Amino acid sequence: MPTKRTLMVMWCIQVSADPGVAGLRYALEVAKHGSVAIITKAEPHESNTNYAQGGVSAVLCPSDSVESHMQDTIVAGAYLCDEESVKVVCTEGPDRIRELIAMGASFDHGDDGNLHLAREGGHSHHRIVHAADMTGREIERALLEAVVNDPNISVFKHHFAIDLLTSQDGSDTVCHGIDALNTETQEVVRFISKVTLLASGGAGHIYPSTTNPLVATGDGMAMAHRAQAVISNMEFVQFHPTALADEGLPIKPKKTRENSFLITEAVRGDGGILYNLSMERFMPLYDGRAELAPRDVVARSIDDQLKKRNEKYVLLDISHKPREKILSHFPNIANECLQHGLDITQQPIPVVPAAHYMCGGVRAGLQGETNVHGLYVAGEVACTGLHGANRLASNSLLEALVFARRAVQPSINYMKSSSLDLSASSLWTRPLVPKSLGSDVMHKILRITKEVRKELQSIMWKYVGIVRSTSRLQEAEQKIGKLEAKWETYLFEHGWQQTMVALEACEMRNLFCCAKLVVSSALARHESRGLHYMTDFPHLEESKRLPTVIFPSSHTTGTWSSRQLHQQPIVKSMV
Amino acid sequence: MAKTSLSRLFASLSEHSIAKPSFTGSRSESVTRSAYNSVTRFVCSSAQETQLIREERSNEGDREAAKENLESVNKEEDEGEDGDHVNKETGEVSGPKGPEPTRYGDWERNGRCSDF
Repeated sequence: MPTKRTLMVMWCIQVSADPGVAGLRYALEVAKHGSVAIITKAEPHESNTNYAQGGVSAVLCPSDSVESHMQDTIVAGAYLCDEESVKVVCTEGPDRIRELIAMGASFDHGDDGNLHLAREGGHSHHRIVHAADMTGREIERALLEAVVNDPNISVFKHHFAIDLLTSQDGSDTVCHGIDALNTETQEVVRFISKVTLLASGGAGHIYPSTTNPLVATGDGMAMAHRAQAVISNMEFVQFHPTALADEGLPIKPKKTRENSFLITEAVRGDGGILYNLSMERFMPLYDGRAELAPRDVVARSIDDQLKKRNEKYVLLDISHKPREKILSHFPNIANECLQHGLDITQQPIPVVPAAHYMCGGVRAGLQGETNVHGLYVAGEVACTGLHGANRLASNSLLEALVFARRAVQPSINYMKSSSLDLSASSLWTRPLVPKSLGSDVMHKILRITKEVRKELQSIMWKYVGIVRSTSRLQEAEQKIGKLEAKWETYLFEHGWQQTMVALEACEMRNLFCCAKLVVSSALARHESRGLHYMTDFPHLEESKRLPTVIFPSSHTTGTWSSRQLHQQPIVKSMV
Repeated sequence: MAKTSLSRLFASLSEHSIAKPSFTGSRSESVTRSAYNSVTRFVCSSAQETQLIREERSNEGDREAAKENLESVNKEEDEGEDGDHVNKETGEVSGPKGPEPTRYGDWERNGRCSDF
């Protein structure tokens, strides 16, 4: 029988997958002042940082300017950005990149020794720093090396974070650490920490087609919401219009692809044409630029076709172009498709939009602080106001770097004023591993949970996709509510208890929580702006140029997904 | 927490006219500028002149011709002293070979997009 473990640390950094840029950067700084635990759900190579292979944006050229980067960010964000956040990120970004270089990250340079800067869509200057194809991985490599060598930092792999440990002090909610499940040993570990940073990434898996790794199930956003943190702008979900649609391949992949294969805009740029499954070219119906319309327009058009026609994918045809050109420009696509029985020089490519990035999340101030004392956020899990209603290319790594750094001193100050100690660990009920249910029941629960996840993803895609309407969102709300109730009833009928934890069940609970946050946010915005498009409110409304804010609901009612597992103690002056 | 919930709204650019991508089939401008109309690649240096290759997307023929030019330029690649690949056109060392990954706005390698 594993003993109950409680660890006391100064900082607990939760990362859902991999300690990405945000988590690692922060850890290295705060470790100078005390012990740090980094808890990660999987192996240290799975985060969205690793998949951010393009580049990171910063003003690093004399002919560029912070004002220009700000302007580009604000335009891309459909004017919903928070001006101060934008200014801070664009101003401090260059120094953060220089620090990474000083730490050994190796970015591509020119033969004169200067950094090579590329230019991506939406940027008016060259400002994308990159490491050939693997910027995210390169940054992470440099940071991980430093973390591994730091005696004050311990990395707890395969530790799934369950809930934040919080208390009420008057009207304030205070965070004192995290409960986690070691998924290898099935042991619950309680981390008591004076400061907690969530750098847990996104929630792409609320949708069936996503670029995110499997670990991106919105754990941090859900935990924070349950801990009474304010959530913001969840309606702004970025989709890529043309991910390879496995359903349309002659030979289906043996197992479900974990993260989508995105077909570049260059295919359309080079003359690729979009057709529905009746081989009707549809883009001219939506935009005079047809396939060359901006990406978000293309994404909406595809979504509209799919919903109207109740189909699963559309077709992107480049086969009318010379074979040699196709193979030399797009060998990656050609190989991937050929392996599944499709020759893109002869046949069209099946494509479907994929969820990519969440612009919203846990509402953060300029120091990465949240309304929960002792709880900080950085990276995709946070809503700092930088992205507004739509993310500018390559700004997300930058945001993570800047805000993780900014959270350092405030959290050191907070830590020093805290008198929290291990005696606090008995204040919350311990989560329970469901051994008593037996393996038969657990198998049933796992099977049902898997089906429920697919069902939730299907509802989200069908009713909370790229093109939305009030009636569809309301329908989503109802269906999700029913599905959640059905799932929870099943669990509890089979002996599940309030404080029980298992990886799949906890992920499902987090997915429900995030899905509902997206739906609520989407229902609240009665305009179309950036990534959020409503057919019944198709225009921008100046009066609505405000963030969507979701305040915590009462934690004494609600579903299993919306409550912390334990009863929250009311303790005065614990800090 | 330092900020009040609505106190830091961005206000000073409100005089810009905002055109939303149309979904009703009528032509409109995008709020997001894209790099579709130009392909530019240079190494940033105070001592160097920038080289710009402008590519018009007004018609497919021009686009194709421009692409051919870009490719033929990119194909002229030299090996640097240390054996690192150097892009002759831009001077980029050890960068991605072949067509400029960001030429259509997103970041692509061999057809697969990894950032946009």
